[in-house]
Amino acid sequence: MIPFDYTLATTLDDAIGAGGRPSTHYVAGGTTLIDLMKLNVETPAHLVDINSLGNADASLAQVSDLPGGGIRLGALARMSDVAWDSRVRGRYPMLSQSLLLAASGQLRNMASMGGNVLQRTRCPYFRDTATPCNKREPGSGCSALHGFNRSHAILGTSEHCIATHPSDLAVALVALDAVVRVRGGPQGGRVAERTIPFAEFHVLPGAHPEHETTLRHGELITAIDVPALSFATRSLYLKVRDRASYAFALASAAVALDLRGGTIRRARIALGGVGTKPWRSHEAEHALAGKAATPATFAAVADIALRGAVTHQHNAFKVKLAKKTLVRALTQVMA
Amino acid sequence: MLVFSSSRWDPAAAEHVEGYNRLISRLPGLAGARLLRIGPDGPWRELGFADAELSIPVITEGSAEMARRYGVREGPAVFVIDAAGVIRWRHVEGDALATPDDVARALASTSGDESHASGTWTRREFVATTMAAAFAIALLPLTRRANLQAQTSAAALGAGASDTVAVTLKVNGRELSLQLDPRVTLLDALREYAAMPGTKKGCDHGQCGACTVHVDGRRVLSCLTFAVMQQGKAITTIEGLAQSVGASGDALHPMQQAFLAHDGFQCGYCTPGQIMSACAMVKEPWGAEDNDVREAMSGNICRCGAYPNIVAAIQEVRRGKTSTESGASKGAAT
Repeated sequence: MIPFDYTLATTLDDAIGAGGRPSTHYVAGGTTLIDLMKLNVETPAHLVDINSLGNADASLAQVSDLPGGGIRLGALARMSDVAWDSRVRGRYPMLSQSLLLAASGQLRNMASMGGNVLQRTRCPYFRDTATPCNKREPGSGCSALHGFNRSHAILGTSEHCIATHPSDLAVALVALDAVVRVRGGPQGGRVAERTIPFAEFHVLPGAHPEHETTLRHGELITAIDVPALSFATRSLYLKVRDRASYAFALASAAVALDLRGGTIRRARIALGGVGTKPWRSHEAEHALAGKAATPATFAAVADIALRGAVTHQHNAFKVKLAKKTLVRALTQVMA
Repeated sequence: MLVFSSSRWDPAAAEHVEGYNRLISRLPGLAGARLLRIGPDGPWRELGFADAELSIPVITEGSAEMARRYGVREGPAVFVIDAAGVIRWRHVEGDALATPDDVARALASTSGDESHASGTWTRREFVATTMAAAFAIALLPLTRRANLQAQTSAAALGAGASDTVAVTLKVNGRELSLQLDPRVTLLDALREYAAMPGTKKGCDHGQCGACTVHVDGRRVLSCLTFAVMQQGKAITTIEGLAQSVGASGDALHPMQQAFLAHDGFQCGYCTPGQIMSACAMVKEPWGAEDNDVREAMSGNICRCGAYPNIVAAIQEVRRGKTSTESGASKGAAT
């Protein structure tokens, strides 16, 4: 780990003033950043600790109600706080489940909302500075394309990067049409707040896999707003992985159904573990609307959701696995 | 005891001899001991005391690294380390070396903590325990210190960053003042700087749970946070777990007792992390089943595979049946 200097920010203005400097990272839970700093994958010269901002503005670290029935997740709220929150569990079961199925009890007590959606891929080549990686070192090449790529993405890939986005929470958030609120920017100081729809927050790797989000350097996430969605009470996050707990998804599905009788009026569908970003499938949602909720419908919709999947040597199994994961999620959420 | 002295050390200088004599004579059971001999010059020099089986090894070379590990950068410093290796007292700030009276008071308070009611050390106990804890006077000559500072400055220039910073941690109810590089994790601060090795380093990447401690009552991984980020928080480690529930002396926390009763370990390396995780987990809103325990504890890996017994131990505590009355609480003085 290279040396860095450390600043404890006590107010939001202090934080974004310090965060706009070159080679500066904000740190909250630190569970991704410090891990990657130990590997010399992340090499910030300055760290701005934002964990005390909740003292000046408690809402930054809390779950709070929004007018109209939505919920605001303060950027510093910890995964465990959000997962166990009774409003989150009642209104958005998939959100709570996506958090409880992620990481471990210790990590969930540390990792923040803002950090979770900014976590970096677990691609082993990204984490290994001895191998080429376009995401870590633009232009150096992708080791996964012809390497061991069993855990890699099949949706949204490019010839430059096939790394999977690792967050479970982000899959639920993209399904729920969440909105990211940010402050600050390259100039720091009192830059007005702006909002980024969650679906536009992460970007596809394309020719520049080093760019993962539309967040600008120095901008600080202050909250993630989850709008009201009445039928999200019938929602589910299903995660399939190599072991029963404490592992990243091989495939996952976040689903919500608006059911009347046996007919689906509206649906939300997003996939995890298979995309280079949290993968919302509007096509699959449209295909479900107005259909009877039957196994045949679900199977057809799963085919649509995985249309366009591109596989590599070791991850072709993910197409079938993702389809089966989605069908099972849709079946279980009916129960 | 470790002493870092910033001046060229002449063990025979009159003021030093007087200092040793005053210090030694203040220690319980050693009244009347006087400096008798000073060993030949070399990497180690021994001070021998009359009327005592006590000699103090003096490290005279290679101590710059040791000073750095203890966070000593300039000026004299004194550390009192107990037989368990825990730093019980320190005097780092200021230009003056701690007085023999200060050190003697610290040693007396240390003895009071260690199931010796207070000041009841026998000379033999004192010699045995303090020698085992590296009772030493270390010398840090000015020339070596200058080299150390030059190296640090060069590294800082290279990366545009930093020096050590003063970090105050509240661990097991005690305040620790350390001088740390910001890169030092909470885990390394506990193990390498505060001499509290009960918290274990397994993977050092947040994948095994061996380093689990409590911060403000919640279980976290000490390997994935910097010590400088944990100031002002109440940190509990395995060393302070029993006292955190009011147990005294050698009494164990009910969870520790349950792990013993159910053989919740083989090699024991993951055990401090398992127990810290388990103690926090029982306060979280999990269901009552064994499977809930397995899920809640999935962040703690046991290479020996003691999982069935770990689950049994935790379930015993959750069901309120404890085995604290069995044999392990021996010799508690209060």
